[in-house]
Amino acid sequence: MNETTTGSILTTEGVPLKVSLQKAERRNKIRAILLVAPLLLFILFTFLIPIGDMLLRSVDDSYINTVFPKTFKEYKKWDRQDLPSEELYKTMFFEVKDSEGYAIGKASTRMNYAKSGWKSLLKKSKRKFKKIEEGPYKEQMIAIDKKWADMEYWKAIGVMVDATTAGYYLNAVDLKYNVDKEVVRQKENRRIYNHTWFKTFKVSVLVMVFCLMLGYPIAYLLSTLPLKYSNLLMICVLLPFWTSLLVRTVAWMVMLQQKGVFNNLLVMANVISDDSRFKLIYNETATIIFITPILLPFMVLPLYSVMKTISPNYMRAALNLGASPMHAFYKIYMPNSVPGVSAGCLLVFIIAIGYYITPELVGGKDGQMVGNWIAYHLKTTLNWGLCASLGAILLAMMTVLYWAYNKIVGIENIKLG
Amino acid sequence: MFKLIKATFLGLIAIAFTASSYADITFVSWGGASTNSQQKAYIDTWSKGSGVTVENYNGGLGEIKAQVEAGNVTWDVVDVLPDQAITGCDEGLFVKVDQSEFINDMVVPPVSDCVVPQIFWAYTAFYDKAAFPGKKPKNIKDFFDVKKFPGKRGIHTWANALIEMALVADGVKASKVYDVMSTPEGIDRAFAKLDTIKDHVVFWSAGSKPLELVSSGEVVMALAYNGRIGAAVLSEGKDFEYIWDATVLEQEYLVAIKGGNEKEALEFMAHASTAQALADQAKYIPYGPMRKSSIDIIKKGEPWFIKEGGNIDILPHMPTAPKVLKRAVIADPVWWADNGAEVSERFGAWKGN
Repeated sequence: MNETTTGSILTTEGVPLKVSLQKAERRNKIRAILLVAPLLLFILFTFLIPIGDMLLRSVDDSYINTVFPKTFKEYKKWDRQDLPSEELYKTMFFEVKDSEGYAIGKASTRMNYAKSGWKSLLKKSKRKFKKIEEGPYKEQMIAIDKKWADMEYWKAIGVMVDATTAGYYLNAVDLKYNVDKEVVRQKENRRIYNHTWFKTFKVSVLVMVFCLMLGYPIAYLLSTLPLKYSNLLMICVLLPFWTSLLVRTVAWMVMLQQKGVFNNLLVMANVISDDSRFKLIYNETATIIFITPILLPFMVLPLYSVMKTISPNYMRAALNLGASPMHAFYKIYMPNSVPGVSAGCLLVFIIAIGYYITPELVGGKDGQMVGNWIAYHLKTTLNWGLCASLGAILLAMMTVLYWAYNKIVGIENIKLG
Repeated sequence: MFKLIKATFLGLIAIAFTASSYADITFVSWGGASTNSQQKAYIDTWSKGSGVTVENYNGGLGEIKAQVEAGNVTWDVVDVLPDQAITGCDEGLFVKVDQSEFINDMVVPPVSDCVVPQIFWAYTAFYDKAAFPGKKPKNIKDFFDVKKFPGKRGIHTWANALIEMALVADGVKASKVYDVMSTPEGIDRAFAKLDTIKDHVVFWSAGSKPLELVSSGEVVMALAYNGRIGAAVLSEGKDFEYIWDATVLEQEYLVAIKGGNEKEALEFMAHASTAQALADQAKYIPYGPMRKSSIDIIKKGEPWFIKEGGNIDILPHMPTAPKVLKRAVIADPVWWADNGAEVSERFGAWKGN
């Protein structure tokens, strides 16, 4: 063996080949990164940062600590048995009185989640404290509003003294901190979220199943018909995609309401009597009936693209070898279409679980899903912490499902087209 | 050719700059007959600036808070409910306004420092006369009595006004409603009353929906915004009848969003809250002006409501008419700002279970 193999191989310039190769590759790598950089930044700014912000909001409770730092410090000394001392009243008094701008307004919105009533109490106090010049403050505060003598209000502060809180997550699953900061179940008449989670899940699964049942034959037909017919059918499948979601939903409403076309026809044909009309709208059934056709294309398209690639020769061969049509379908066609089925199911399920507008319009009293509560708290109560935790739970659920799916079916088996 | 393009381009820039000295504003309201009346009463007559863009929303402070927090304010003037006016002003989402012009002319004092007066509107029950050929429902008790008047009821998807109405239907005096609501037992009592109609309700969330539900016969009675009922009766000739009992009277205000085109917004708001503007709005929708002098203008001008083939007296259709007021509940925005979230969750649980 000569020297070059025991040492390193050199290029013509005398640089080791390994180094030179690395250099060339590094240049390529940088070029590749620069090429994807705009997309990467785009995803970072429009996707990752907002989601990160949302996740932070779901545990963040720091604002209130900046408004009442001294009070909260003093609060930790309180024994929680009797009304607080004059000292705690005094710090509270000055932090309310001397607060600037909108601090009290914003803080009171947060405090009102812990105990209803804080909002007006602080607003009123802020206005009236200006007239109080000197102590003792306890009696004067109670004279302004007797809520200041209510232990419940003072105890409610206890759940807010830390800068981070799990409270929003607890609320999102019908739990809460009681005034002693122990985790307890929400009052029975306020328990809504567990029920809603279950329903959201149920509706999504049912929509997925119905989409599969309806979409499979359609996709099969599309993939086996001659091109000139299948194109026409394809347009029929895609047509709803080009119509506004609202228009479609309202059109279905006209068809399905109790005095609507569908029920009228049945009554006219004497299939049902006038007072036993089907309730196909404003309930959970309606949510399922309305979402299914809207999401159907998301099932048909991946199915179609997979079925198109299944050669008809496989089926012919199976039949030729003596399998019954059912058996051949079960053993040959179905396994081949699994990538399309899983892609369609995953797609439909993910879209359905976050659905908002259709349940809002036709869900009525029991067809509301988690999305509706997120929208409600986002718009009306401004409890964005709760919105964020509901959203984060939804995200976590999807991630777990995706992981389980990957373990069972394998993500490489998915085919979207 | 190139020169021409260049000249046009420069010209356009020049136009853009001269126009920007007085910005357009975006006015956000509730849509339908309600926005239509605002359009005719004070948007069409607004001559400053180059225009007002009108957008619709469904209430709530969510969008506004998002815009202000992100520093990307696209709404300038928004039509809000009083509890939102309180919260938004406290949290610094709205601009404070000079109220000296109208403060002594208002029927009730303004709920916050950020608002200019608009109208009183009301949740009220109504039905189509054709639905009850025999005995007709007279009061809110009848609305809650599904034995005496069988059939579905249309109610809205949130708790406001429903709690008040349920309590009055259960025998509480209209003037004592908020005293009862401030006790836990009072809320229990309201929900117990709501339970009696639970299996007979259809929910709506958009203001035009209850009219549709009643017209199509989907429900026999519904709660709705009185102005929508009035507009349907007065302009479209619908045969609806109000049930003026336990009518829940709500206020409505305009606010300017902080960080928007504040100067123009405030000028527009001053224009939109003159006694004449508020009176003019009642030509197109039967909502009650919040300024006393607007009512005087209407009284002198009756028949006030504009209709082809002869105008109609508007005062009897207003929620502030004396005979209505006698049996009405005046909504307390402070109670709702405090307890709204808690009661709403309970209402949600009631709806869903």
